[in-house]
Amino acid sequence: MYNDIIIDNFSHPEFVGDLESADHQFEIGNPVCGDRIQMQVSLDGDSILDSRFRAWGCATSVAAANVFCRSIIGKSFAEVSARQTAEISAMLGELEPSQQHCVNILNELHRELSLAVSLEEG
Amino acid sequence: MDQQHLQGYFDYNATTPISKGVALSMQPIINLFANPSSPNRYSVNNRAVISQARENLAGLLGASSENIFFTSGGSEANNWAIKGVLFKHLSHPGHIITTSMEHASVLDTVKYCVERLGFSVTYLQPNIDGHISVADFESAIQANTQLATIMFANNETGAIQPIEQICKVAAEKAIPVHVDAVQFVGKRLVDVQQLGVDYLSLSAHKFYGPKGVGSLYIKDRDSIEPLIHGGGQEFSMRSGTENLVAMTGISIAADEAKKDLVFWDRHCFKLKQQMMTLLENSPIALTFNGATNYASALSNTLNISINGIRGEALALRMEMLHGFIISVGSACSNNKTKQLSHVLTAMGLTEEQVLGAIRVSFGCFTDEQQISRFVDALVTEVQQLLRISGSEPS
Ligand SMILES: Cc1ncc(COP(=O)(O)O)c(C=O)c1O
Repeated sequence: MYNDIIIDNFSHPEFVGDLESADHQFEIGNPVCGDRIQMQVSLDGDSILDSRFRAWGCATSVAAANVFCRSIIGKSFAEVSARQTAEISAMLGELEPSQQHCVNILNELHRELSLAVSLEEG
Repeated sequence: MDQQHLQGYFDYNATTPISKGVALSMQPIINLFANPSSPNRYSVNNRAVISQARENLAGLLGASSENIFFTSGGSEANNWAIKGVLFKHLSHPGHIITTSMEHASVLDTVKYCVERLGFSVTYLQPNIDGHISVADFESAIQANTQLATIMFANNETGAIQPIEQICKVAAEKAIPVHVDAVQFVGKRLVDVQQLGVDYLSLSAHKFYGPKGVGSLYIKDRDSIEPLIHGGGQEFSMRSGTENLVAMTGISIAADEAKKDLVFWDRHCFKLKQQMMTLLENSPIALTFNGATNYASALSNTLNISINGIRGEALALRMEMLHGFIISVGSACSNNKTKQLSHVLTAMGLTEEQVLGAIRVSFGCFTDEQQISRFVDALVTEVQQLLRISGSEPS
């Protein structure tokens, strides 16, 4: 079964697509499960201006990518980077054991974003 | 299942809706509480209900009623046939022949007999059409082969196995053959005598009957151990006070199937051809997995791999956005790996093809309009998924 967060974000993923000019791009994949997500982010100073994704994977991983985009747009980079694991895993609601790998996906999206932005800053 | 659900239901191989006639027949039976084994006059009537059910099932299989034994369904019938035959050989466990595409109730039972009881096994591999070959079967036979257990029609692809020829070869070597016919019975004609099978499993909920009741056809009662010891019901082969309601359900389902299955089959084959034509003429890139022609596969089943998408994701979109229910060839599992269909994998499909596979199965309540609405929705949602992945044709 899929919870409502997953169903809504997977059925109508409004952040699918490509940005005209992305400041950062990264891709994550789970070679075992076969999920692949490409993420694009544009910044406005310290804030995240916009974000889009492409995903090939199970429904929950597509939903996770959409949840991620919505959760970062308009937020400051510092705020997003400060998210703790518990907060991140709550973003997808209650998951079945077979969907838990998508929490890792969401964690990884956060990690990759931090890495991409801080690399540039550093 | 209400009418609205029925409209979108394309998962008949998982279970069928119950027929009206079956549902109605079961309702009054719930009040017939007398124990069929008791000597009172109400019990006599209840025994008659059981006899009638046995006769109806025998009629569907071309069997005699004394060869029909009730079970709680296909899984129990499969377990019984395999363990019941092999338990005769516990002092000198020998060899089993089966296929790598059986239902779990066969595969896991065989595995149990191998791992815990000392039997050995050969798994026949299907070809890309989903069929095993009689020649492979013949060469798998060993001097100590004690049982062959092979499904009639596969639940994922509908591929029909050459059971009659296998039984002929087996008979020459005196090897008993058990056939899991759960997906075949009620869809095509079965004549156990002509086939020459020794044991045949069936399940009511695959042909418009209730869940939780099935049957094992047993040619020779002495060749198999009883399943449940106790009060002596089912000719002392499966004891326990009978479930008259379930028996009535399977009885009427068998009777309806006997009368109507040729019509259902013709109806389904027309729908299958319609769906295949619509899909072939659609813009989406796909392959049909396994044989699709009339003689080699069930008329109600299509297994389809769609390029560039995940079957699981497609199934969810079909359900949430259009109300269509289908099954898939793979799923994520708890340990971060994927669970790939063992059937499609055994047929030699690539991982990508298995991940992109869906199973569509329909039945007597499906009509042409539903098929075309289904294909429309499928095309829309495949295109949506390709858009999400960025691989839509530009
Ligand atoms: C080929 C096959 N065998 C056995 C079974 C098990 O039948 P039941 O659900 O009645 O136990 C099924 C049901 O899915 C099946 O498809």
